Amino acid sequence: MLDIFGTMNISASGMTAQRMRLDVIADNIANAETTRTDEGGPYRRKNVVFQEVLNKAMGIRGGFTNTLSTDQLGGVHVDSIVEDQRPFKLVYDPSHPDANEEGYVQMPNVNVLREMIDLINAQRSYEANVSSINATKAFASAALGIGKG
Amino acid sequence: MSNGIDPINSLTSLDPIKRLERIQNTQASQVKKGEAEPDFQKILNDALKSVNVQQKDAIQAEDDFAAGKISNIHDVIIRAEKAAMSLTMTMEVRNKIVDAYKEIMRMQL
Repeated sequence: MLDIFGTMNISASGMTAQRMRLDVIADNIANAETTRTDEGGPYRRKNVVFQEVLNKAMGIRGGFTNTLSTDQLGGVHVDSIVEDQRPFKLVYDPSHPDANEEGYVQMPNVNVLREMIDLINAQRSYEANVSSINATKAFASAALGIGKG
Repeated sequence: MSNGIDPINSLTSLDPIKRLERIQNTQASQVKKGEAEPDFQKILNDALKSVNVQQKDAIQAEDDFAAGKISNIHDVIIRAEKAAMSLTMTMEVRNKIVDAYKEIMRMQL
């Protein structure tokens, strides 16, 4: 079993991951109208990929090789940031300097509404991790209160 | 603390001879164990050191955050929380030790 700080570290990793997700969502919202990038073409929506962290080095305590010990649990980390490969939106705006011959501009494949929902999701997940840290602390405090009743 | 006074056993062994036997056994095992066990002072010192490390880590995190080296606020708070938790734990243990000491000092001889 992990010590109480190990449990807190798991929650901290979740919070860090959600923070990185917030960075990516903020970038998506900020670039929702961006038509120029270093690679050429409009901005592509970015997405985070989370991966579970397992400490394989920790010994397996169970009797079966496929059982996990909680010692191995390490939380989550952001594996990579990937680009959304969905097509760009075409907007008719002949006055735009990046418009093509027919007057259409390629706009980023960012849906601001979708980003807002992801934002709320990230916020709630972050808060959930805070709750789990508070619960961890409550466990410890309760244990320290043994015999005081 | 296997050689502490077991309340259940002391209740069941009302036979005085058995009781005496048990006390002698306990004393004998204490003498034997005393040599191999690390002394109380060392255990206390090590525990206090680890608490101190937590405190220092929390202060370091605050400094780093003020200097702009840490971008995650929660890291700072969590480290401070860990330090506070270990200090609370230390205080609880300390209170227990002081209570035990007072209890013994109050004993009528």
